[in-house]
Amino acid sequence: MTGDHLAIEVSCLTKRYGDVTAVHDLSFTVQPGVVTGFLGPNGAGKTTTMRMMTGLVSPTSGTATIGGLPYGQLARPSRTVGAVFDANAFHPGHTARDHLRVYAAMGGYPDSRVTTLLDLLGLAEAAHRRTRGFSTGMRQRLNLATALLGDPRVLLLDEPGNGLDPEGVSWLRGFLRQFADEGRTVLISSHALGEIQQLVDDVVVIRRGELVAAGPCSRLAGPPAVLVTSPDADALAAVLTADPANGGTAPHVEAVRPDRLRVRGLDAPSIADLAAAHHCRVHELAVETPSLEELFLHLTTDKAVS
Amino acid sequence: MNHLIRAEFRRLLATRMWGGLLLAAAVLGGGMFGAMALAGPENFDPPMPGLDTEAGLRAILGILGYTAFVPAAAGALAVTSEYRHRTAAVTFLFAPRRGRVLAAKLATYAVVGLAYGLVLAGTAAVALFAVAAARDVPLGLPASTVLALLGRIAVAMVVYLLLGAGMGALIHHQVAALCVVIGYLYVGEPVLMMIPGVNTLYPILPGGATAALTDFTYVADAISTELGSGTVNLLPPAAGALLLTAYAVAASAIALLLPLRRDVT
Repeated sequence: MTGDHLAIEVSCLTKRYGDVTAVHDLSFTVQPGVVTGFLGPNGAGKTTTMRMMTGLVSPTSGTATIGGLPYGQLARPSRTVGAVFDANAFHPGHTARDHLRVYAAMGGYPDSRVTTLLDLLGLAEAAHRRTRGFSTGMRQRLNLATALLGDPRVLLLDEPGNGLDPEGVSWLRGFLRQFADEGRTVLISSHALGEIQQLVDDVVVIRRGELVAAGPCSRLAGPPAVLVTSPDADALAAVLTADPANGGTAPHVEAVRPDRLRVRGLDAPSIADLAAAHHCRVHELAVETPSLEELFLHLTTDKAVS
Repeated sequence: MNHLIRAEFRRLLATRMWGGLLLAAAVLGGGMFGAMALAGPENFDPPMPGLDTEAGLRAILGILGYTAFVPAAAGALAVTSEYRHRTAAVTFLFAPRRGRVLAAKLATYAVVGLAYGLVLAGTAAVALFAVAAARDVPLGLPASTVLALLGRIAVAMVVYLLLGAGMGALIHHQVAALCVVIGYLYVGEPVLMMIPGVNTLYPILPGGATAALTDFTYVADAISTELGSGTVNLLPPAAGALLLTAYAVAASAIALLLPLRRDVT
């Protein structure tokens, strides 16, 4: 399996519970080699979709495959996919080591793998403590250790940021980045956007069980804007919109304040050069990265759905 | 499959339940049964025939058989703890073929049930022979027959543990499963026995089949007397054993087949 690049393919997935449609005709692809954020308000159907990917919940119709196969047909599923769905999925009387040894046996992995993961996730000292006394952060790390037992090619995390301290979030960020850089596939769901803002490359946004948008963050958010603070804002605005160097489309300039402009369609060096050429004073020039939160709100509010 | 069975053994042996279960077997076999033998059934209230009679010996062995609710409860507890502690989802992620997971559990619990039964029967045998020697009472049955009856009780414990596991896999909810298992054995079946017509079914219910194993006719006789109906006859021991096994197989089969398509949320 090592070296395999496995995409997750969701195709026309629908799940109904009685009269309630939790997921409706959902199709998207999660690419290997990048970290994909699975976003949507609470109750949008993220958890149901992730459980359908792994066969825990059977779809009413449609399919979800991992590397082309439904989860149930994977030869050794825990070698292919690691998943964390529950914040607290341990027998309270088991120690961290006991818990991992149960699943190591189930997946056919040696006890040395258990020791490796306890060390990797900073649980070595807690290895012989019963899980009932574990903090939320320790539980999260033990969940992750369980998912990683089979050194999987695909990682699915449902709301992993809940209960992690800043240090934990930073560690997770580094870990997932490295994981994706090795050509593996990461899907991480969240409703707390601040947490995964710097973490994800691609996003899949759903709302009320339906797809709203999918693709690289940068493409969905559009080009970054540049904020220009200038006492000559009006003159500068006229210069920028008349820019002949821009290939065809005029830059979009918006006056945020009397002395500040938000410019889209021109990069900072071009703006600075134009300002210098036309003797407009520039006091501040800042690139404004679109926040995931704005994108998310933009995509999931009713007016955005067209 | 071997991976799954090894995992289930690890899961069980890492909890304190395992030690507690064997302790319960020793307490019930060596302790409770020993104390009953020491007091002597002739001193019970109401008095029963003594240890030196076949009826008396069969009676206290029958009472020992009634402790089968302990392994039944243990089986239900072990299976439902996966749902209660939400590890079922993790387990099915590692082993999506749910039938195999349950089969591995049943295989594991059969071994555990056998260990329980052996400790129970073993300590009971030691206690009985020691009491008989100490009180200088000749037992109403040959030692080999007593051992055979205790062996049947040990087997009954395996069957009840599997019955409990099967019910647990069906019901999922821990408290509900315990209520159903213990409630049926202690309330449901005796209540059924009070309904004329239904009580003639006693020999083919789990309790009746267990009583047949040791030819323990106390309950059957009580039903007959109380209702003034014809004598309720137990099945022969071998048929009782077969019937109990059929119950365990049925519970396991339902457990294997039914919950497999259920969504794990």
